Amino acid sequence: MNLRENWRILVLVILLVASALVLFVPSGSADGGNGSDGGQIAQDQGVTNLQFGLELSGGTRLRAQLVGLTAENVDITGDNQREVRQTVAAELNVSEIDVNARVESGTVEVYDDNVTEEEFADALTTAGIDASTDQIRAGVTSQTFDTAEGVLDRRINKGGLTGGGASTVQAATGEDFLVIEVPGANRTEVKDLIGEPGRVEIVAGYPAQTENGTEYRTETVLTQGDFTRIGPAQNPDQARPGVSVTLTQSAAEEFRTVMVENGFTEEGIGNCRWQQNPEDPGYCLYTVVDGERQDAASMSGGSDGLAPVLRDGEEWQNDPSFRITTANFSEAQEVKLNLESGALPTELDIQSELYLAPSLAQKFKPLALITGLVAWLVVSGVVFYRYREAKVAIPMLLTAGAEVFILLGFAAAVGLALDLSHIAGLIAVIGTGVDDLIIIADEILQRGEISTDRVFSNRFKKAFWVIGAAAATTIIAMSPLAVLSLGDLQGFAIVTIVGVLIGVLVTRPAYGDVLRNLLLDIDD
Amino acid sequence: MVDFEVSDIDYEQYSNRQLAAIPLAILGLALVIIAAWYVMTGVPVDLGLAFTGGTEVRFTAGDDLSEVKDTFEGVEYDSIQSAAGGDTYILTTQAEDTEEIERTARQAGYDVEQVQERSASFGAESQQQALLGLAIAFLGMSALVFILFRTFIPSIAVVLSAFSDIMIPVALMNIFDIPLTLGTVAALLMLIGYSVDSDILLNNHVLRRRGDFYESAYRAMGTGVTMTLTSIAAMAVMTVVARLFGIPLLPEIGLILVFGLVADLMNTYMLNMSLLRYYKYEGVAK
Repeated sequence: MNLRENWRILVLVILLVASALVLFVPSGSADGGNGSDGGQIAQDQGVTNLQFGLELSGGTRLRAQLVGLTAENVDITGDNQREVRQTVAAELNVSEIDVNARVESGTVEVYDDNVTEEEFADALTTAGIDASTDQIRAGVTSQTFDTAEGVLDRRINKGGLTGGGASTVQAATGEDFLVIEVPGANRTEVKDLIGEPGRVEIVAGYPAQTENGTEYRTETVLTQGDFTRIGPAQNPDQARPGVSVTLTQSAAEEFRTVMVENGFTEEGIGNCRWQQNPEDPGYCLYTVVDGERQDAASMSGGSDGLAPVLRDGEEWQNDPSFRITTANFSEAQEVKLNLESGALPTELDIQSELYLAPSLAQKFKPLALITGLVAWLVVSGVVFYRYREAKVAIPMLLTAGAEVFILLGFAAAVGLALDLSHIAGLIAVIGTGVDDLIIIADEILQRGEISTDRVFSNRFKKAFWVIGAAAATTIIAMSPLAVLSLGDLQGFAIVTIVGVLIGVLVTRPAYGDVLRNLLLDIDD
Repeated sequence: MVDFEVSDIDYEQYSNRQLAAIPLAILGLALVIIAAWYVMTGVPVDLGLAFTGGTEVRFTAGDDLSEVKDTFEGVEYDSIQSAAGGDTYILTTQAEDTEEIERTARQAGYDVEQVQERSASFGAESQQQALLGLAIAFLGMSALVFILFRTFIPSIAVVLSAFSDIMIPVALMNIFDIPLTLGTVAALLMLIGYSVDSDILLNNHVLRRRGDFYESAYRAMGTGVTMTLTSIAAMAVMTVVARLFGIPLLPEIGLILVFGLVADLMNTYMLNMSLLRYYKYEGVAK
């Protein structure tokens, strides 16, 4: 055997060895890259390094949009940013937290699905920004997507559901959406964790004297970004459950001002009766999650209370720690998780959900393997019946098998999480592969002995024209699916395209070389 | 070598018109079925959950179908069907909220294995994308075929057979009550790739090789029929085995491919063959 003539076989062998290494040599870092690679779930699977997706391992997958409107190409500067935000929020009657003006990208977003484009444009005009409805689109900016993705990732992994994650995927229409995958968890668990934005605010509510008598005022004093340290959730015997937090210097300063100026540190001490009398609650610090008051706390006086510390000022500056109270311990845990993972900038609009019981999904794995094997055996039967010659048929079946093996190696190498759609793609590849091998065999075996290498290579070239043309049509047929975001079908298309490429460039030509060696040997 | 006895077909007995008549009549019938479906239902083929939106809950239960239906009495749902192994059921509903269905199932001691939910707007979007994908794939294939053969009649013969290879399974989907799902869209796209293989082979042998039309055609048939029969066998087995095992997605893909490949046998060796013969004996001479 001449190495130069048989380089195709050599390449095939090298690829087979490489695939075997990738598939079977345990690698310590194999279980790192999840979440970042298209929301795929990576799970190590004992014998091989193959990773299996949700459909073959079980769990929950959600696909969601972020709710909101975005005005693009608007003139936002450092000077008007804050004012625009306040004005737009007031005009649209939404919370300030629901409006975001970005200087870098020149955008204003409203995170509320009750606002129409016209209302938004009007509100921007009132805020002194020249904007028409043409500049406004549904959806949010990619920065908001990044924030949401990070929050979801942290929440899923800190909330005790490991191995999952969120990722931003772009549809062919240019629209972004989020894919959230959590292996092993059911939908209720996942939705409990990510369903709510989880925006924690501390709001001060107090009576103020005006000309018309006493009226109640509320003011947001602390929000998500105002904490430098978040302590554990506590459930003490003699006090309310809660979470200890330390404030940033600027937040601490502002907090102190509001407290001192509005009487919290004097007449307000111990003077919150929201639980008993929500109409006339007195001086309260409300724990507000997603706009809902969950608990109210009084300013504590006494020697170890907060009031003297705030009055003193200096002590407060040295240790600005504060306790967020909650009604019960599980709410305290939730507040802690929300503070740590950050708030989702807006609500998720869930578009599709899939839950597969792990017991069922894992059953599919061996069954899909058996299905593939049975299909391969049937192909073998037909091929043997047709050629009645082991020298032609056996290499043909081995080549078809090699194609699948190399494809699996490819999947393991790039960390592709196998799903049912990929299995279907593998079967499609075997199908086109065997077709091509039959074309090669028939062309080479046609009447007349293959006396010389030249006759052989001539016939091989003819066969290859058909194979190349067929492969090109398959790739063209599959390429729209590889780009369009039709979920399951993307994996199917990618596997088919890669498989056809490996087949046409490596394995199928190598089969031609194998045949030549086997057949020319007889003639010698 | 056994050639599956295909050489026994004596093409010289039949005129081009006769050869083309049957596949064209069947294509016409398929188009009529699809058009009729469109008139009656507003869609050319029934759409599955992925394209309409809605919820599908798959669960196993010890009860039989009527008992299962009793369990869900008073809960809003569209249909309950038994699937695969007999004790597995699939409930579908257009309701957005499935908490009640899942709770009812759990209370009855049923084991919820799979829940799939899609919003209607997302379904409509997927539908557009799938149609777009099919159209682009088909146009891309057609363009490539014209580039490969650079002559009108042989190229249009391939494109026409491929078109028929897709329309016949779509019509059969209506007859056999198979909805259009992501799996069946994949199968239809796969058909575009698969079905042109044997057409390209035939055209290549007849047009690009020296020798008599019939000799070339029979040789291409020997290879092409083996290819298609191998694929049909593999797909038929995959359909049956995957259905027995209750694996989703694979049976749908397999069945559509079987339909399409059988249609391809007819279209390649009757429609494409007759057009090629016309081109070879009459089209070129004129």
